[in-house]
Amino acid sequence: MKKNIYEVGYRYHPGTVAWILHRLSGLALILYLVLHIWVIHNLDNPIGFNKVMGFLNEPLFKFLELGLWGVIVYHATNGLRIITVDFFTMKGAKFQKQMFWGAVAIGIVIFIAGAVPFVGHLVK
Amino acid sequence: MKVTFKIQRFNPENDTKPYFKEYTVETHSNAAVLDCLNDIRWHQDESLSFRRSCGHAICGSCAMNMNGKNGLACQTLIKDLKPGTVTVKPLPSFPIIKDLVVNLEKFYEKFNKITPYLINDGPVPQKERFQSPEQQKIIEESTTCILCASCTSSCPSFWADDDYLGPAALVKAFRYVFDTRDTAAEERLKVVNDKNGVFRCHTIFNCNEACPKDINITGHIAELKLALVTTKL
Repeated sequence: MKKNIYEVGYRYHPGTVAWILHRLSGLALILYLVLHIWVIHNLDNPIGFNKVMGFLNEPLFKFLELGLWGVIVYHATNGLRIITVDFFTMKGAKFQKQMFWGAVAIGIVIFIAGAVPFVGHLVK
Repeated sequence: MKVTFKIQRFNPENDTKPYFKEYTVETHSNAAVLDCLNDIRWHQDESLSFRRSCGHAICGSCAMNMNGKNGLACQTLIKDLKPGTVTVKPLPSFPIIKDLVVNLEKFYEKFNKITPYLINDGPVPQKERFQSPEQQKIIEESTTCILCASCTSSCPSFWADDDYLGPAALVKAFRYVFDTRDTAAEERLKVVNDKNGVFRCHTIFNCNEACPKDINITGHIAELKLALVTTKL
């Protein structure tokens, strides 16, 4: 039989962007958790643990931590948006775009609130 | 005004893959895309294939992808589209039969899975099966679906796995599950609860964007999800 010819793709809108970012931030969090467990598993060996912690105190990781904070905040605020759609079904779905921008706005505020002590710590 | 159309062509007898062909049509801003496609077929290139029937946005035959958005060609006016070249493609994800005509077999297969007809084994009443205006209001929006397949073909969950029931079948499931005259809600909820059912919806909202009848599809699917987690099957 001849192979079916078809194409996929669709114009982006806030809903798609929210979904793609949610997926990517979810994957990033899984990656972080694996790393985190790997770091913790070094606890059985104090010298090894100190070595790993010394490595993780490099400025690069401080910067990545700030990124991790951003990823967590987005995943959480958009997650709340999805939960709102699930529980306020019709109304929730109707205002999904507004809720996306709301989630982004609240996310930015929370991100800055958390990032200030982060950066303060870095400068010290 | 002159409008240029970039239309995706594909003839399985001669072509190995789809290609684009441009046509220029003399038209006006209130014309529908379907009028222009008719113009092209009647006066420029009679080999162009597309489905159309009523021309009044109620049969759902002329659903296609215009400027990256699904919709009915008869309902989409030139003035509603971004000025410039109009790109017309067949509905995404369905196998192309020729040009803008796609094979909707999978779509109807999913539709049939949710038994899309009234099931009521109770005694047949003398008059109609009564329903109050309030009861009708619940299913009113979902009854306006015309099965044009715009939503299902726009759904990334359906692209990833065409075993997924898809938004159109789920809206129809909603229509019967919440119909007070119907008695087979439980059987339908079981179909919808399948691994290829309602929980494959990841609230991407492409279906809401696509629906030419402005049905709040994701809202209806969310309602089914809520019904599944709050009722015992």
